[in-house]
Amino acid sequence: MKAKIQVVLCKCCTEIPSVLRLESLSKLASESNNVMSVMTVDAICDGKQLAPVMNDVKQKELDRAVVLACHKKDVSPTLLRAYRRAGVNEFMVELVNIREEVVLPHANEPERAQAKAEAKLRAALARSLMLQPLERQTEEMKTRNVVIIGAGVAGQAAAKEAAKAGAHTVVLEKSGKTLKVPGVVMQHSTLVGAEGYGGNLKLKIRAGEKVESLDAAALVIATGGGWTQLKGSLAKAVKDAVPLYKLNEQVQVDAPIKGPVVVVDSPDPSGKTMAVQDFAWDETLETVVELKKKHPETEIWVVFQEMRAFGLSELVYKEAADAGIKFIRYDKGGVPKADPKNPGVLSVRDFSQGEQLNIRFGTLAFASIPANPDNRLIAEVLRIPMAADGGIRRGSIQRWPVSTPRPGVFVCGSALFPKSREAAEAEGEAAGAMASAFVKRGTIEFGGVVAEVEQEKCSACLTCVRTCPYEAPFIGAAGKAEIRIQACQGCGMCVGICPSKAIELRNYTDDQIMIETRTLLGGDF
Amino acid sequence: MIVAKRKPLGEIVEMLAPYQKITVIGCRSCVAICLAGGEKEVKMLVSALKIKNRKEGRKQQIDGFVVERQCEKEWVKEVEERILDSDVTLSMACSLGAQTIGDMYPKHLTFPGLNTGMFGVPEEQGVWSEKCIGCGNCIIHTTGGICPIARCAKSMLNGPCGGSANGKCEVNLEVDCAWVAIYDRLKLQNRLDLIENFTPAKDWSTSHSGGRRIYVREDAKLSQHQKKGKEAVQ
Repeated sequence: MKAKIQVVLCKCCTEIPSVLRLESLSKLASESNNVMSVMTVDAICDGKQLAPVMNDVKQKELDRAVVLACHKKDVSPTLLRAYRRAGVNEFMVELVNIREEVVLPHANEPERAQAKAEAKLRAALARSLMLQPLERQTEEMKTRNVVIIGAGVAGQAAAKEAAKAGAHTVVLEKSGKTLKVPGVVMQHSTLVGAEGYGGNLKLKIRAGEKVESLDAAALVIATGGGWTQLKGSLAKAVKDAVPLYKLNEQVQVDAPIKGPVVVVDSPDPSGKTMAVQDFAWDETLETVVELKKKHPETEIWVVFQEMRAFGLSELVYKEAADAGIKFIRYDKGGVPKADPKNPGVLSVRDFSQGEQLNIRFGTLAFASIPANPDNRLIAEVLRIPMAADGGIRRGSIQRWPVSTPRPGVFVCGSALFPKSREAAEAEGEAAGAMASAFVKRGTIEFGGVVAEVEQEKCSACLTCVRTCPYEAPFIGAAGKAEIRIQACQGCGMCVGICPSKAIELRNYTDDQIMIETRTLLGGDF
Repeated sequence: MIVAKRKPLGEIVEMLAPYQKITVIGCRSCVAICLAGGEKEVKMLVSALKIKNRKEGRKQQIDGFVVERQCEKEWVKEVEERILDSDVTLSMACSLGAQTIGDMYPKHLTFPGLNTGMFGVPEEQGVWSEKCIGCGNCIIHTTGGICPIARCAKSMLNGPCGGSANGKCEVNLEVDCAWVAIYDRLKLQNRLDLIENFTPAKDWSTSHSGGRRIYVREDAKLSQHQKKGKEAVQ
């Protein structure tokens, strides 16, 4: 059957026509092969303007579309849904970003912008003819369990929220602490293995001496942070340093605190440990202000490398400075040091004055919560990426703040990076809600853009099996690689590395990519 | 498997510069698996050559594909036309593949695209290490399963030598001393007594020293009669 393309040009209100001549793009489109219809709309993101576009599709029985508009993320879900209803497979809709990629960067050079837009249109039309419709498949979830790892602040919040939404919760807690959280609590338990994929996960849990298996539909990582001891030269000289949270507790319960008090911003100022996060700053500022209020006579110093007092914390900083708390900034050239022969003195070079200071202290506290060492084990078991500072990496700070790249696996609280109790609680609730929403779907959707093996070409070299972060490829009964499509995330890593070019990613096949590239750049290569 | 490495692009470009029509042929066996000369590498090299030619204004016709095993005549025969249609063939197989094509078509030019290195094993994704040099007389049952010929820089039979320090080799401080590895393995197997054994000089006549080696298996060879029959069928 002959391909029938619809081309849609979006004006983005007035932004796009202010740089591009849409009539000439429209003419180029209408003169191209297989283009049956060209439409110009004011704003494709406006639901009302979709109706005539979709009517056109139905009337002319079009089977594919090229839409020139803005960033994919802004338009795609609604647009693709509309096309699906109008009978066009969503993988046959080609989106071209002429706003962020053409109009905005070339606002002052309309001729170049026009040429770029035309090249992109030609490439998209060439690719459009190579597209194949793809279908997604579904599988029933076999359980409704939401498993939460860690019963700290974030974990408890997640369990409560998930249970409130009707999910069956199982909380794994490493220690023996008893908890009032809904659902099952497994004490002295840790996650040691995971097979399957979000929706139908088979977990292996070590509970005490035994290893048990547990089915889970979704998983929330709430392992929390971990404290370290003072390290490096400071540790050798100061034996009784207290972590910031201990100092905070002492202040709260009015325990006697020996002045003067010095708070250092890192457990290892001369080492590679990252300087404290914004949270630790909030905690530091609140602690010292409270301490100063309760003991106005105590001299307080805060020794820091980089101050990060965001938002309203700025006011707390001002309050602290007004109360006479001294803030001393240092840099790598003059890190705080202590000499065992001269106990009770911290020497540091004041960066702003260039002056060496010897600060006498009664109590030395240090801020910073490094990441929980359990994170690494859990990330390995679940095969999810870690962030550089030792936390679990989240999907995207704006769009998926409590998700991991693995569907059905969520993360919250200090497992991501150190944060305050309030923030951990809020994230816990969010992760609990996300997990229960995921479970409530009852089915897993997969397929579409997934890898596919051409078995004749496969030499069973295991390269894909070793490379895939999701354990999607395996060597099947025929002695050739196969893809577990429920696990495949369509990332294309196996496709890129396969030495025999036996794997292709659907919707991004070599042919589809090459025709687009060749049209854009011209020539054979 | 046989482990090889692609020659630097500059060297390949220089080799091919005088010719017009070039055929690049990869191999789907060892060199595909060690990421040196499979279909992906062939396609990438062809693209790289085309891009370089376009940048430098050189005109060449370059085509690339793979065969199942380039060291076997039958597979090469299948692409005979494409080979002979070109001015030069760049073999992306190990030297065995390149020489097979060369022997089959002695008038035709066949150049190597890879440097064939060793018999190696993939230690992890992207890392290969040499473990055998094909000496033709295996002794690893006496050395805890570790070959001192391949893995010791001096191929010592009674080791370690005085240059072994902290488990590393004096020839290259990043390389583990094979004899320390042998000691550790024998200890693990409760066979440390073996390290006391003196091993006299090895019979090297089975190795490369005697010139090209040819292995024959009489029972597998076709008889004159069978050969004639095959010819008749063809």
